[in-house]
Amino acid sequence: MSPYTEDELKAKIHGGYILESPEEMTPGYRKAIIVQLTVQADTELMSAPAYWLAARHAPSTNTQVSAHAIIQDELAHANIAYRLLEDMGVSKEHLVYGREPHEFKHPYGFDQPLDNWAELVVANGFFDRAGICLLGDVHRNTSYGPLKRALVKVDMEETFHLRHGEVWMRRLARAGGAATELLQRCVDWMFPMTIEWFGLPDGLKRHSGQLDYKLKGLTNDELRQLWMSSTVPLCEGLGLKAPAHYDEQKEEYVLEYPFPCQYDPEVKRWLFEDGEITWQAVFERWKGRGPMNERYVESVRRSRGAVGSWLN
Amino acid sequence: MSPPLGESVYEVFARKSRGDPLRHIGYVDAPGVELARVYAWKTYDEENWFEMCVVPRGAVIPVNRPEGPWARNLPKEGDER
Repeated sequence: MSPYTEDELKAKIHGGYILESPEEMTPGYRKAIIVQLTVQADTELMSAPAYWLAARHAPSTNTQVSAHAIIQDELAHANIAYRLLEDMGVSKEHLVYGREPHEFKHPYGFDQPLDNWAELVVANGFFDRAGICLLGDVHRNTSYGPLKRALVKVDMEETFHLRHGEVWMRRLARAGGAATELLQRCVDWMFPMTIEWFGLPDGLKRHSGQLDYKLKGLTNDELRQLWMSSTVPLCEGLGLKAPAHYDEQKEEYVLEYPFPCQYDPEVKRWLFEDGEITWQAVFERWKGRGPMNERYVESVRRSRGAVGSWLN
Repeated sequence: MSPPLGESVYEVFARKSRGDPLRHIGYVDAPGVELARVYAWKTYDEENWFEMCVVPRGAVIPVNRPEGPWARNLPKEGDER
């Protein structure tokens, strides 16, 4: 039982107070951080099978080893976040093995197949960068001490994944021809996918408590801008066309397509021509999950029974 | 759903270099000491640690703080430890 009321805790937190144990949490704080950590853990977990299937397309043994090192990092990050949840009385076992695939809380982007090496490295360049924007902000601002410490390792390793993505994007962009065309096709579907990942615009945002409890510091729109502020110049520098540019007058990045809009996962294409859709329609698409959802979940669960038998 | 392997928690401590403090860097679930060592080494591989060790959570006895993950290990009244 928390010794504080919700308002007392919020006031203390805004004065710089750091919680060190679940006993100090109010019900509101506990609920908000459980949602945050579940999304974080599920996202790290689901990135592993997505990257693993794509790593088969690595152009050499050495590059496949790098890809597998990234996958191992992601699994460790997932484990660390689930472990924090376990201390709040949430069962890691249930979260990993007891839910239906569609109940996982990772973003829609990690329900999509990554079909070639270019898609894997752009996932590193775009998705892992989104992870750094989101988790770097949590690291700087979170009021929960154990999470702040856990993120030291996570931030360090996500930066390595991002570098892997950027180095390879540069290589493919310089190669020209088919490699560069492939890279541009990745940007075409993965850029808007990441933009959508940051969620509802601030003007429509339902009150979540994550800012009140200082579980993060930046709003969705601020995080989206932060992501674009490094991704758009990266693409421009590589001669790739990203559907956004910096607007000098507005002093922010603006999208050059209707946002949000509909996505066709079968052909990996955003239906810009159909115009803007409602966020309700986006939530319905997310809820329906993407084409790889069940396969990815099955793939991380597969060896569960086997571990016990290896020990006997 | 309970863990299938009777896992318990191991706290992980590590020292980056000679002369550095031994810091609590996290924790892992494992069914025994041997796997706890492996999980800790493979999970917290962000540094080339000079020294790492694992301690069963039940073995950490709080001295001054009656809450947090180790609180349940506080000696009860009448305990002879």
